[in-house]
Amino acid sequence: MRYNAATIEMNMRRWDIFCRVVDNYGDIGVCWRLARQLAEDHGADVRLWVDDLASFSKLCPSISTDATEQHVGSIEVRRWTDDFPSVDVAEVVVEAFACELPASYIDAMARREVAPVWINLEYLSAEGWVEDCHRLASPRSNSTLTKHFFFPGFTPRTGGLPRERRLLADRAAFDSAAEAEFWSSLGTPGRSADETRISLFCYENTALPELLRTWSEGPCAVRLLVTPGAATAQVQRWFGREFPGTGPLETGFLTAHALPFLPQAAFDRLLWACDVNFVRGEDSFVRAQWAQRPFVWQIYPQAENVHLAKLDAFLDRYLAELKPPSMAEAVRRCWQAWNFDGDIGAGWLDFAENRQSVERHGKVWASQLDQAGNLANNLVCFVSGK
Amino acid sequence: MSVKIAGDLVVGNVIIVEGHPVVVMKKEYNKSGRNAAVIKVKAKNLMTNRISELIWKADEKLEGVILEKKPCTYSYYAPPSHVFVDAEFNQYEIDAEVIADLEKFLAPDMTDVCEVTFYEGTPIAVVLPRSIIREVEYTEPAARGDTSGKITKAAVLKDTKHEMQVSAFVEIGDKIEIDTETGEFKRRVT
Repeated sequence: MRYNAATIEMNMRRWDIFCRVVDNYGDIGVCWRLARQLAEDHGADVRLWVDDLASFSKLCPSISTDATEQHVGSIEVRRWTDDFPSVDVAEVVVEAFACELPASYIDAMARREVAPVWINLEYLSAEGWVEDCHRLASPRSNSTLTKHFFFPGFTPRTGGLPRERRLLADRAAFDSAAEAEFWSSLGTPGRSADETRISLFCYENTALPELLRTWSEGPCAVRLLVTPGAATAQVQRWFGREFPGTGPLETGFLTAHALPFLPQAAFDRLLWACDVNFVRGEDSFVRAQWAQRPFVWQIYPQAENVHLAKLDAFLDRYLAELKPPSMAEAVRRCWQAWNFDGDIGAGWLDFAENRQSVERHGKVWASQLDQAGNLANNLVCFVSGK
Repeated sequence: MSVKIAGDLVVGNVIIVEGHPVVVMKKEYNKSGRNAAVIKVKAKNLMTNRISELIWKADEKLEGVILEKKPCTYSYYAPPSHVFVDAEFNQYEIDAEVIADLEKFLAPDMTDVCEVTFYEGTPIAVVLPRSIIREVEYTEPAARGDTSGKITKAAVLKDTKHEMQVSAFVEIGDKIEIDTETGEFKRRVT
């Protein structure tokens, strides 16, 4: 969908985004994208408060982990410490993932002549209740401030997904020459016609050894691009040795390459260039959908399998239009095996057999997601109505 | 005034929102994955009569209002209100819309003692006893063989015609105990 970026009104130009890095890179990944989209696509003056600049610097290498204040492009990045400074309150305040704003900042918000628009940005979920809770007011008993809950999501009755204005155009322009240049930049061999190229970004996953064994046994050559962290550690354990310098680990039909930590834009290109992407959490999960390639999602695991409902809710939406039903079932079985230690070997073989159809479905799905608008634009529209 | 945790709110509670007392008409709890548990509430502003939907994190501290409460029994429906009676036979009318969630269990002249809440002399909310007994007017015959209570089927309650899920062994004419907070079948009484 082509859209005109919503215009930020002059009295809503300054935005404060607060982000606590709970673990991994999902929280800061989403907040950094949102900050950039608000600044670049909508002209907002964004100040991003982050409590863990070391994690942030992995996604954005120009971040100095020592600086209390710094600028990345037009975005002001501030280290968020317990000793919170006295600052001017912005006109729009985004509390990402219920991260709890500093008490002194809330007091300053309450003292403002015109109360700021206060947004609680929630985690992404495909569950039905999200539509009913999106945009609802959450007034505070002891002050005049009102927070509004804003839920990203997959339908027009939610806040949509993060997406840069140029993303789909850039994706469409990513041709075979651009792909070859990308592989070359990573020091990875160019494509051969008979291989399946797969990216792997996962949490520690008990199904991974079986999947690696399946890939190693063929029948197709698999070139695996392994992201740093849990995926690399587990792949090395399975091979019984570390990656040799810049070279790959190989056994049977499987060749695995270790990747460096890729900044967000390069990670997008990795997803565009691979035939199948294994992604995890929230940010890479969303990017895999915009990549329009077959993907397998590892949801953030939680005690007592409380994440099961969230996984099923997404599968129900994502697979609703994938026909015939047996194909949708093949995708579902593979995803469930990957998340709940099922028979991933059989799951993968079924998934791979249906890969071309799943890829076509991915394009339809991305187009459907586009109808929900994008998160930054929807936020700006919401704020403008306040 | 008192502190109320959003997750502990029940239908009939009154809290202060933006300086106004609002009565909780309906409450929904949602939690999944990494999202914080949230409480969605349908509430009526007692000053303006405006009904709105609000949301809080389940651990949010809210300002509750300590109100006068009286034990009453339900008497009858006089549109648009339901009428309750106290021990001195004083009658109190409550807007049906405010207690719409309870209507499925309100039968004329039922003997359950309810708690009616008053704000500045006006009845504003009703809380049913946590457990009530109701008679099953209709249900399909019991499935043979299963007595575990895990398999459920639909049953229609006498008087209110409310349909709910009960254990498969429940039969027409049985009296059943119901949890009014969850609306769920608890056990067969007779």
